Amino acid sequence: MRRALTAGDIVSRIKANLGIPWRDTTYRDTFKFGSADTEVRGIATTVFCSFDVVRRAAEAGCNLIVPHEDTYWNDRDDVTVVSGDPLYKTKVDFMTKNNIVVFRIHDHMHSQRPDFLYVGSARALGLDSKYETAPQSHRFVIPETTLGALAADFQKRLGAKAIRVAGNPNAKVSRIQLGVGYATPAVNNPDVDVVVSGELQENDGGFDSPEYVLDAVSLGINKGWIMLGHAVSEEEGMLEMAQWIKAFTPEVPVQLVRAGEPFWVPKI
Amino acid sequence: MNPISRREFVTLTAAGVLAAPGVFHSRSAYAQASLTAQQIVDRIRQRAGVEWKTATVDAFKAGDPATAVKGIATTAMATMDVLKEAVKAGANLVITCEPTFYSRADSPSPGGARRGGPAGPDAVFTAKNEFIERNGLVVWRFSDHWRLRTPDPLSVGLADALGWARFKAADDPRLITAPVIALDSLASDIKQKLNIGGGIRIVGDPRSRIQKIGLLPGTTAIQAALSLFPKVDAIVGGEVREWESVELARDKATAGENKSLILIGRVVSENPGMNAAAQWLKTVVPELPTTWIPVTDPYWRPA
Repeated sequence: MRRALTAGDIVSRIKANLGIPWRDTTYRDTFKFGSADTEVRGIATTVFCSFDVVRRAAEAGCNLIVPHEDTYWNDRDDVTVVSGDPLYKTKVDFMTKNNIVVFRIHDHMHSQRPDFLYVGSARALGLDSKYETAPQSHRFVIPETTLGALAADFQKRLGAKAIRVAGNPNAKVSRIQLGVGYATPAVNNPDVDVVVSGELQENDGGFDSPEYVLDAVSLGINKGWIMLGHAVSEEEGMLEMAQWIKAFTPEVPVQLVRAGEPFWVPKI
Repeated sequence: MNPISRREFVTLTAAGVLAAPGVFHSRSAYAQASLTAQQIVDRIRQRAGVEWKTATVDAFKAGDPATAVKGIATTAMATMDVLKEAVKAGANLVITCEPTFYSRADSPSPGGARRGGPAGPDAVFTAKNEFIERNGLVVWRFSDHWRLRTPDPLSVGLADALGWARFKAADDPRLITAPVIALDSLASDIKQKLNIGGGIRIVGDPRSRIQKIGLLPGTTAIQAALSLFPKVDAIVGGEVREWESVELARDKATAGENKSLILIGRVVSENPGMNAAAQWLKTVVPELPTTWIPVTDPYWRPA
């Protein structure tokens, strides 16, 4: 009889195929739910292990979920922070009933080359590698356009509703620095017109780009800041992750289960 | 000649402003009696009613604290546009809730804040410093201690700006009980009342019926949302981490809980609280005019 493929087996293959040494010091890239001994029938990658993603993964026959981000609404997935909320038990009970295992891949994904989060985001945004200044620079010099036209193009390609832009819509731009998730570059690099990324705190951080952009606009300096939202920014790279896992896991189906954009915006 | 009143004379002498009373000319006495930025800050510290922290961002960020103040402007964020408006309004002391120089460190030169770019002067920093110097402005940050006051002035300000003054719970201005409204109508209403552009984003079923609302102005961690959600149908917040409160709200909606999250942006959420600061400062510094300058929503969305 064929030995069952377990979640532990798949995680071992992930570690073996990364091309970089595994760091056991990570608190992020660990099992968040379920046992490594669980037999896996299908694998779902996703940006966020939301309750909705867990349900749809289960419906699709996937019981190993590989999310990039957290499961319990805090980065450390510290359940003591959230266990007082009945929703925690609801989510965990559903995962138990459906024999779900969750293994997060975050830190090692960003250390892997290429970092699929950048590959996926650039693909979805139409930032072709021919525009990238050097491999892995994540800086793209595109034919000159306006900030307004660029943001509209991104919105259309992503089908996203809640993209937020700071800067003069008429500003002429061509040099784009791409960030992903919360890894959002500062906008005051003189070699960069526009930063595109997921999210970042507005103020009181290491560098507060929205305020800088407002002041640059006031001075007639062309700067733009396009925030796609965390989920939208990193969702696409989980498609690359699914394809990568599939290549060394031929025994079971592997698919991306999209978390989708969490936001909507008022009509008026 | 305007003789100085006896009351003013006593006040000025007691304050140690007049070195040699009796030899002054009234006009110069008024000039000498003018308050410096430092004296105003000292008064704020005395009257704030909260213990002053040793580690705090509430400090002078630009200008000379010994500057005689002509007028005060409060704002959520001392942007170039806000500074220009302050000058137009005749204010030279700007009291800001958020940083002036684009980081918590609030250093007037880019220093370590420049990421990945070549070293050298930064045109935006340079121009802002020059504008401040040319116009004799003083900028002081008032964030940590303003928030510490009870009741929370940022929540009171936000509730008042949204027309919910009479709907606040007596013991907690963050808790609002308003007439029932659908989430999508509520969101549009908030967008219009606070003049928000592209910075408003909502999580939850648009048809949800909302009656109890919780306010989380500024920036808040997951603990704040976890403790507030059981008491309300919707949270109106400034800024959260998306992997925290946004995903919590999304999961609550999936689970069928009547819970929603309306994010309006950090600075926009702090605008009304700095209006409240202006009203309070008028009582602390009645000698000088105080103006509130709102910050325009930094964000827009593609059409």
